[in-house]
Amino acid sequence: MPKMRGVITIAQESRFQLTDADGVSHLFVLSPHMLAENDDLEPLQQSQAPVQVTYSRARNVIGYLAERLERI
Amino acid sequence: MNILHMHPRAAEHHQSNLDRLIPDESELTAGVKIEAGRSYGFFTDTTVCIGCKACEVACKEWNNLPADNLGMTGQSFDNTGALSANTWRHVAFVEKSGAGGIRDGVEQPFQSGWLMMSDVCKHCHHAPCMEACPTGALFKTEFDTVVVQQDICNGCGYCVPACPFGVVEVSKLDGKAHKCTLCYDRLKGGLEPACAKSCPTDSIQFGELSDLQERAARRVEDLHARGVPSAYLYGTPGAPGATGGMSHLNAFFLLTDRPEVYNLPSAPTRPSRRVAPSLFSGLATVAGLTLAAAFLFAESERRP
Repeated sequence: MPKMRGVITIAQESRFQLTDADGVSHLFVLSPHMLAENDDLEPLQQSQAPVQVTYSRARNVIGYLAERLERI
Repeated sequence: MNILHMHPRAAEHHQSNLDRLIPDESELTAGVKIEAGRSYGFFTDTTVCIGCKACEVACKEWNNLPADNLGMTGQSFDNTGALSANTWRHVAFVEKSGAGGIRDGVEQPFQSGWLMMSDVCKHCHHAPCMEACPTGALFKTEFDTVVVQQDICNGCGYCVPACPFGVVEVSKLDGKAHKCTLCYDRLKGGLEPACAKSCPTDSIQFGELSDLQERAARRVEDLHARGVPSAYLYGTPGAPGATGGMSHLNAFFLLTDRPEVYNLPSAPTRPSRRVAPSLFSGLATVAGLTLAAAFLFAESERRP
């Protein structure tokens, strides 16, 4: 699965925006199968911690499905 | 130049770049102070909607919702299609000839009229989705709005058929029910909901429900006086849309045509009101069939 690194800049419910090193923002939705919960997103957004997202493509939406989220 | 209609508090914030949130900002933008324990909602006046979709964009931006339904819908200028798990505001474009109103006499025969309406969750007073939810994920907030708690929703989808307006949808991405929160997070921060704040014509008005209902009634009277007799309210107490035990809708509309034209049900009802009649009719059917079977068996026993 593809991976992307960056900083979480917006967190809303199970959705978050990841801004990569080039300053490009990408929208992710937490997969129901992943270990992270909605409540884990806000502390990551507030601390601006660099994270790595393992994701899959989502059908018929401009966004990705986050399968794994880890601090780096 | 003096701006006569400027709120007195606006003078305190004359600079463009602010280092903090303006306290109770909704007082400046919507003329209402947001306080817990009061009822808030939307009054959508469809007669001034220009179909700009600023509300759709503002909603997606604030709530970080992904663009969906990619491609052409083939439905006029409507590219979102309907309310969904990722679209919490939907601007309906209804193209029809003889739309009625003051422009009816000046339109050429080949021209059509447009009815536009920004649809949204109605935040019903007696919310059927909330009644159907088995986990309590749907709840009434301190602002009398209806919100789904994402960490409690188990994705059963009972709320989806319960909603008479077809608002709630279970997301295919995360398997949970999603709908408009009436910007619950913004309300808690004293901010007007994003859609209402972005509306350039004030078609979407946010405020305290009693104030909005009074304002809407005055607007209907005004439109009637201006020669638009078809104007009426949908979702206020006693009006269409507030039928079948719904009491009233916190997000109500001013319409100029039948509700079905805007894809709204003419007489929505709470499914919970049909539980007792369904149960009793089911029991009566079982009792009737039992009696019929007993009669037939007794008849066959009697035959030699």
